[in-house]
Amino acid sequence: MFSKFFEWYEKRHDYARDWLTKNDGEVVGCFCSYAPEELIYAAGHLPVRMLGSHEPQDVTEPHIFGMYCPFCRDVLAQGLKGRFNYMKGIMLAQSCLHLRQSFTSWRNHVPVDYAYYLYMPNKVQTDHARSYLAGELAKFRRSLEEWTGREITDEALREAAEVYNESRRLAHEVYDLRKGPNPALTGLEAMVMVASSFMVDKKEHNAELKRILPELKERRLDRETGARLMIVGSEDDDTEFIRMVESVGATVVTDDHCTGSRYFWNSVEFTNGDILSDIANRYVDRPTCPTKDFETRSRFPHILQLAKDFNVDGVLLIQQKFCDPHECDMPPLKEYLNENGFPTLFLEFDVTVPLGPMRIRVEAFLEMVGEEELF
Amino acid sequence: MAEYKTEPLKSWNKAKELRLKYYKEYQDAHKNGGLRWTGGAWSFDAIPAGLGRDVYNITGEPYGASLAFDKQLSKECMEAAEAKGWARDLCSYMRNYWGSMYLNKYAFGGEYPSPDFCFQDHICCSHGKWYQHVAEYKKIPYFCIDVSVGPYEDLDENRLMFVVNQMHESIEWLEKITGRKYQDDLLIEAVENECRSTSAWAEVCYLNMAKPAPLDEKTMYSLYVHGTLAKHSKEIADFYEELRDEVKYRVDNQIAAVPNERCRLMSDTQPPWGFLKVFRYLENFGAVSIGSLYTFGLIGIWEDKPDGTWGPRTTPMQKGESITTRDQALRILADWNLSKPEWQHFYDPNIKTRMMLQIVKQWGVDGVMLHLNRGCEGLSCGIMENRLGIAEAGVPVMTFEGNMGDEREFDEKRVMARIDSFMETLGIDMLQKAQ
Amino acid sequence: MITAGIDVGSKTIKVVILKDGRVTGRGMKAAGLEQAESATVCLRQAAAEAGIKESDIEQIVSTGAGRKAVSQANSQITEVGADAVGTVHVLPEARTVIDVGAEEGRGIKVSAEGKVVDFAVNEKCAAGAGSFAESMSRALEMTLEEFGQISLKSTRSIPMNAQCTVFAESEVVSLLHAETSKEDISRAVHDAIASRVASMVRRVGIEQKVALIGGVAYNPGFVNSLSRSLETEFVIPDDREYIGALGAALVAVERSKGNK
Repeated sequence: MFSKFFEWYEKRHDYARDWLTKNDGEVVGCFCSYAPEELIYAAGHLPVRMLGSHEPQDVTEPHIFGMYCPFCRDVLAQGLKGRFNYMKGIMLAQSCLHLRQSFTSWRNHVPVDYAYYLYMPNKVQTDHARSYLAGELAKFRRSLEEWTGREITDEALREAAEVYNESRRLAHEVYDLRKGPNPALTGLEAMVMVASSFMVDKKEHNAELKRILPELKERRLDRETGARLMIVGSEDDDTEFIRMVESVGATVVTDDHCTGSRYFWNSVEFTNGDILSDIANRYVDRPTCPTKDFETRSRFPHILQLAKDFNVDGVLLIQQKFCDPHECDMPPLKEYLNENGFPTLFLEFDVTVPLGPMRIRVEAFLEMVGEEELF
Repeated sequence: MAEYKTEPLKSWNKAKELRLKYYKEYQDAHKNGGLRWTGGAWSFDAIPAGLGRDVYNITGEPYGASLAFDKQLSKECMEAAEAKGWARDLCSYMRNYWGSMYLNKYAFGGEYPSPDFCFQDHICCSHGKWYQHVAEYKKIPYFCIDVSVGPYEDLDENRLMFVVNQMHESIEWLEKITGRKYQDDLLIEAVENECRSTSAWAEVCYLNMAKPAPLDEKTMYSLYVHGTLAKHSKEIADFYEELRDEVKYRVDNQIAAVPNERCRLMSDTQPPWGFLKVFRYLENFGAVSIGSLYTFGLIGIWEDKPDGTWGPRTTPMQKGESITTRDQALRILADWNLSKPEWQHFYDPNIKTRMMLQIVKQWGVDGVMLHLNRGCEGLSCGIMENRLGIAEAGVPVMTFEGNMGDEREFDEKRVMARIDSFMETLGIDMLQKAQ
Repeated sequence: MITAGIDVGSKTIKVVILKDGRVTGRGMKAAGLEQAESATVCLRQAAAEAGIKESDIEQIVSTGAGRKAVSQANSQITEVGADAVGTVHVLPEARTVIDVGAEEGRGIKVSAEGKVVDFAVNEKCAAGAGSFAESMSRALEMTLEEFGQISLKSTRSIPMNAQCTVFAESEVVSLLHAETSKEDISRAVHDAIASRVASMVRRVGIEQKVALIGGVAYNPGFVNSLSRSLETEFVIPDDREYIGALGAALVAVERSKGNK
């Protein structure tokens, strides 16, 4: 049922090349999930989220010092190896220092026509972030207009926001089908459903979701649900890992990842006022990345609510090695979840994860989660 | 070989006194009903100054470095932080600081003096999170100002106002949590002092262009630190002006930091504090580290001069401006800090490379040693691109790995071996007496 | 003129004796814990092979991590400098030198005169050096020679992340349990080491021709992996493990002339 999504995810470059032959816009690589894709979409381009390819590589050492996360190096490797040689534009919505370096090195060493650094606020917990971001979005809009010489009208922005809102609504509908005792889809399918939406025209993605939804609502998976797990942490599109987890007696039923629910959780709320302010508010209000989560830890209650809503038995805390923002949240998050009755297992991710040693840990955790139910 | 005369720096004792006085005053603040706060070395310390003359702060980075200097205590702190589950690759100043808080041990004797509130700014991922945890652990209020609005060369009204608006918000917050009436005249005074101290420090560094260099970087570390403690204070501003006069005297009289100077190097990022002997080792080659973008621009404020050189930024007072209102003071404070050289690479490594090459040119640098500092994700950000840029410009450059605050990550033997290789490529032998 | 170069590496000591520009004697010995003593024995061995008395040697230069332990040496040179001089002497067309030893890997960019233009050394991690292959071969219960050979018979590449020796070892064990062939595992290990070495070498950049020296260059599995990784062929000198010692002996000739 999810074959189209898998195809998009696995053949992302084929899709993008094909899109270029059929459309008048460009492919624009977006670094970080805070990229306001609506603007790029409204300009007639295809926004594509930059991810890695989960292969060991040896080309980034001259550019990014080894103390930064494997994900940011994997992303840069895609550019240095020429995998995106069809992509003319890149943009960064100010991210952590790790991913930021993938963007700046890409700009230095991979030929592109257009590179834009959007100074996305880090402190989203002040109201001043709203007008500030709206002002920055206005500059980004002008810059996009200058690049292609085409105006981006308010109308086009509103339409783009509607397409994106629909995508968000549909993703919620799919996630809702994981709340019951027999989830209609596996965690792997959910992961690829969201990840593929980074790579294809949202309209097309929406159409496919609408096509499968009626059938999905009736779907009974021919497998034991086992322990209901939630995955929480840094960038994670490691399909091999989640496949392994779901092969040893568990189902991943929800997540808090920028590659998962955090990406689509909230929508643009239209106010009849300035459309850029509406879009800015959406990004200020979304579930945060830990690097933007201060002074209070606003993520924690949100994560707890997810765990409750999806009847989670245990939480896998997943973190890219060297990811400072998540490292600053993990110990208190673990404590917080444990205090609220959710057992946790911390796992450190690299570009590839050694499945053998990981399996041993996950199995031990599942045993622990299972035992708890006995008492 | 030319042998220059040398003599100890007269300001040395005063520097030490001021530093200890600062930590002591913070410790004793409560005895006289004063306030204590904590935040980063880059926080806008001029703002809480408006709460009164009895307000003292402790800044996390220099405090973390002081802990790192005491290897035994630092080890205990690191282990205490690791026992709480914090990753070993997090900012090593932060882990030292947290450890000192958990162990309730102050680096200068006695218990860790609990702050009344946290006041921080944020440009590096660790900044906002550092005091979030301090505030949680100590159950004290916390305010953080986001300054990541892009490089100074692209500053505009929207970006400046995001910072200024947060500053205004922070003053309301300070009044609320302390119950004190905010005094704008004290803020204005503090802003003027900050401009004066950070520009005077740049003047000190500027004088190090002279050959022989009047200061070596190891000495500069003990001097720039005051700007990281209380850049807004009159005492520090006055001290930097005195220091500038002394360094000028050294230049006029050819008093060298390294008497056998024959090779000029520059470094980058914080040094491994437990291993400053690296710099003494360089002296065996007649090499002097004249400073770095780090020592020059972490606290020093600079500007491009009309003749294309780089020099200390002209203060508003030097321009004849007078500061009369809160808003004006905050705008100046924001603009001044946003031009900080060490804030630019967060957005673009090329800006930093450009500044580094400017130093190479103006200060007559023969080779560059980059410390790949595993302890600081903020200042190591983009450092490999800096390496490429410097190498492309034809300037000899080497890297060595280490950690400013966690000595477990420094391999002394290997680093010294690498320095040997680097000096060999520069064609510099070890001086006879050292062998 | 007779000179000697002594290379005190982390695992072995190598000596080269040069007489009028020709290698006349060599010695090799495990470094052991007493480097100074081993160096003395090794020098004696080389002198015997050259048919000379030690006192006939006019100038001795030591190199390598333990170079300061050699009391007989008149002067020293770093292993980076010695590698550059030695390599350009035997392979004048070499502009990039890759030296992979037991615990350290180096990438050096050299000029036609044998001068170091830029260099990179692996950080304190053995995953990019010979010891890593040794410990993995032990995990597979094979000799290092067999382990290197069978890598060439592998037909597929399995991604493996050599960030840490201990972790990699458990990954090897789980690959074994998953009934992955030893050939494929061997290649995965060599690819992983090669990837670390390639990363480091890329820091200085690849300029043709590329010389590969050091003991690990005897391992065909590693050479094959590194060649794929860097997408280049190598020139490999015959006595690849003696290049550092040769470089030191050549430097001794220069220094000896300079003293006269």
